[in-house]
Amino acid sequence: MIEPVQIIALVTSVFLLGLVLELVRRKKLTEEYSFVWLICAVALLAVALGRRLLDRVALAVGIYYPPAALLLVLIFFVFVASLSFSVVVSRQRQQIERLIEEAALLEARLRELDSSSSIKTKPSVTPAS
Amino acid sequence: MRVLILIPAYNEASSLPQVIADVRQHVPDADILVVDDASSDATAALLPQLGVRWVRLSQRLGTGTAVRTGLRYAAARGYEIVVRIDGDGQHPPEEINRLLVPLLHGAGDVVIGSRYAAGRTAATPPVRRLIHRMLAEVLSLMTNQLVTDPTSGFWAFSEQALHVLVDHHPSGYPEPELLLFLNRNGLRVIEVPVEMRTRIAGRTSLTPQRTWSAMARLLLLLVVVPLRSAVEGNRD
Repeated sequence: MIEPVQIIALVTSVFLLGLVLELVRRKKLTEEYSFVWLICAVALLAVALGRRLLDRVALAVGIYYPPAALLLVLIFFVFVASLSFSVVVSRQRQQIERLIEEAALLEARLRELDSSSSIKTKPSVTPAS
Repeated sequence: MRVLILIPAYNEASSLPQVIADVRQHVPDADILVVDDASSDATAALLPQLGVRWVRLSQRLGTGTAVRTGLRYAAARGYEIVVRIDGDGQHPPEEINRLLVPLLHGAGDVVIGSRYAAGRTAATPPVRRLIHRMLAEVLSLMTNQLVTDPTSGFWAFSEQALHVLVDHHPSGYPEPELLLFLNRNGLRVIEVPVEMRTRIAGRTSLTPQRTWSAMARLLLLLVVVPLRSAVEGNRD
């Protein structure tokens, strides 16, 4: 018999799968960052459909109410996704810092080149004949 | 020997002219670079009038990143020594030569001006002094060398250190992490005693919230930095 929580998990995973694919199709989510969500959706789907697998996993980790294991799997994947996005945000912060540094250094270089070329191109004074 | 005096500055318009005049007086052969960390006061308008080299960051990135920007500027232009001093006037330019001497004699790769070295005392508030002392003990233990002033911003870098730090100088409030990093990478750090002054004007950027945040970050770094791999210098 299918538990209500399994139906919720099934609907959630199918919805998540569809949503992620649609976001990738519209190029609002890049492929690189979609994988963690796709794995999350597929894992949830597998556990929701495979009742016996769920029972076995729950028993192995000492959970006496198997549908609770489903929520645990969901929480685990959300945790992994959050951590992976923290890594992405950290990396992007470093990239932004480096870009700001580069822009400032280039601006300084340009200013110095401008000032040196304006000194060189000053009209020379020619003695009157 | 080409020397660059690097001054990271955030809202230091009131003190910068005096600091720069003092540097010119005491180290006349050195070039001066101000890295403006997106100041919101008159610093940006002031820079072109000071007759120094300057770089302005478009967003505030913190002292560590401002210093790294200055080091990259120096490395790209072939400077052999970079001396970092604060823009608030706390680091007297007459003490710069004390930092240069060990570098010129090859006694170290990095020299720190310490207000507490050789038994000196400074007019530091008691709680801050206690934090400095505890941090100094921990860093001395971890780096196996005497650290007396773990938050001093008065540093001199040799060319070798410069080429390592252009890519790896820490961000945020960088000094304790920098000590750990230099030790991890086998660069020789020595301290010399210096006198420091109170700031000419303005306020410290270290609010209580930032102090706690910096300390929490430091606790994590004390564990993590010694576990990181050593890096190679950038000679590009």
